[in-house]
Amino acid sequence: MQNPVERVLEAVPFCFGEVLVRKSGKSLLLCHRDEDAQDDLEMFQNPEDAIEIAKYDDAGNYRPLKTAPNLRHGWRMKLQSSAELKHALGHFYPGRLAVFFAWQRGELRTTSLRETLDRQSGMYRIAATISDAQIDDLVAGFCHSNGGCLRTILWKRDQHGTIASTKLPIQKFDPTLDQVQALGRTGSATGTTVPLLCQESCNLLVAACRKVVKGE
Amino acid sequence: MTDKTALLIVAHGSTVNPDSSAPTLAHAAEIRRRKIFREVSCAFWKEEPSLRDALFLFDPKSVREVYVVPNFISEGYFTQTVIPRELELNGRITKRPSGQIWKYCEPVGNHSLMTELLLKRAGEVAPGVNPAETSLLIVAHGTDLNENSAVAAKREAEKIRALGKFSEVLNVYMEEPPLISDWRKLTETRNVVVVPFFISDGLHSYEDIPRLIGIPAPAGVDRGGPGSTPPATAHGEVFRRNPHKIDNRSLFYAPSIGTDPGFADIIVEQAKS
Repeated sequence: MQNPVERVLEAVPFCFGEVLVRKSGKSLLLCHRDEDAQDDLEMFQNPEDAIEIAKYDDAGNYRPLKTAPNLRHGWRMKLQSSAELKHALGHFYPGRLAVFFAWQRGELRTTSLRETLDRQSGMYRIAATISDAQIDDLVAGFCHSNGGCLRTILWKRDQHGTIASTKLPIQKFDPTLDQVQALGRTGSATGTTVPLLCQESCNLLVAACRKVVKGE
Repeated sequence: MTDKTALLIVAHGSTVNPDSSAPTLAHAAEIRRRKIFREVSCAFWKEEPSLRDALFLFDPKSVREVYVVPNFISEGYFTQTVIPRELELNGRITKRPSGQIWKYCEPVGNHSLMTELLLKRAGEVAPGVNPAETSLLIVAHGTDLNENSAVAAKREAEKIRALGKFSEVLNVYMEEPPLISDWRKLTETRNVVVVPFFISDGLHSYEDIPRLIGIPAPAGVDRGGPGSTPPATAHGEVFRRNPHKIDNRSLFYAPSIGTDPGFADIIVEQAKS
């Protein structure tokens, strides 16, 4: 019986965020999706190397949000098994593959932003006082696929099912669509896409809500 | 451990310090290599996967038990409030609707092996130096948010002091007395070993503590700002220049205790106990 990773592999080549995965003989090749045609890429063979590749962007800045559309270029990774692929993708986009599998199984629960904010304590408790209008603007800027985050938003703004932000394109909420296409990059690979699903707002957004409330 | 058991290592992480999660990820890789658990994953308060993502990391069909080990130096706000809340834990044992059991373990800093690890680190950073002519300083932050790291550091210092190996064993802090910056007055020995009692290296161990001690900070330390220099060459340099000769004394400065590979053993022990 196939495990979930092997089932995903049936779709190769596929894109997972900005990572392109394809087969070459018995090996699996990963690279930035902009660069499959490049032949002068630095080669890696250990899935743990994905930690360092994903840590800094092209300019050398730390990437606190791994799903931000700024994965660095210039590398190719050659892996030998679906287990290695699972580890590598888990470092490129931590947690996103497991969330995708839970979604496929029908077990993914989403949590509204208001629930997330109401749960906070300590210095983040004040974030819950953010207004709906402020959320509408903040999420539009913070989560936008073109410069913010490549995840597909599944969570709602509140328990009434209000859309997270009316100022984001409707495609931002559709798991069947490729968020990287929103960047309008030419040359990007366009095979099957495994979406980076967002079932609950991240702590970076919670921190941003706090900043809005505090006027920072 | 059975083949349906998983380990979840929970740590703080950082949105500005690239090295904050590195020890936790390294310990996870080492434990994964030992094949004790079916799956080994990490989750972070400030990085990904988040604690909320962790709820979905383990397929209940293949994983029946999840051991949650906080990679924290002490009990405190995060182990008592944030982690249980975010992971929806009801206590030591939580049964999910799927039947999956989550077991909440003690933080690594509570384990008795911490004392041995501190001794080992002190020995490694000052090889061939006679402990009887050496002061050991364990540095904690002090004035932490509800954290008991100062209490844990005190406990470890007392245990090491009781062994009678070092001339002196002192707790010092960055922000409250006794201050690390007063190390010249606090110690009388020619040799001084300083071990930061932190879970990972970062601005405190790379830059702040060296400055308080009187060691010049290496250039290019990354503060996470736009355009900052990649830190690979600068980070860790301060630990490779031992001993630092200051006022005719030899000061040996160690990396944070949490970067010791021995933490992997403690994480496994906390899951087993």
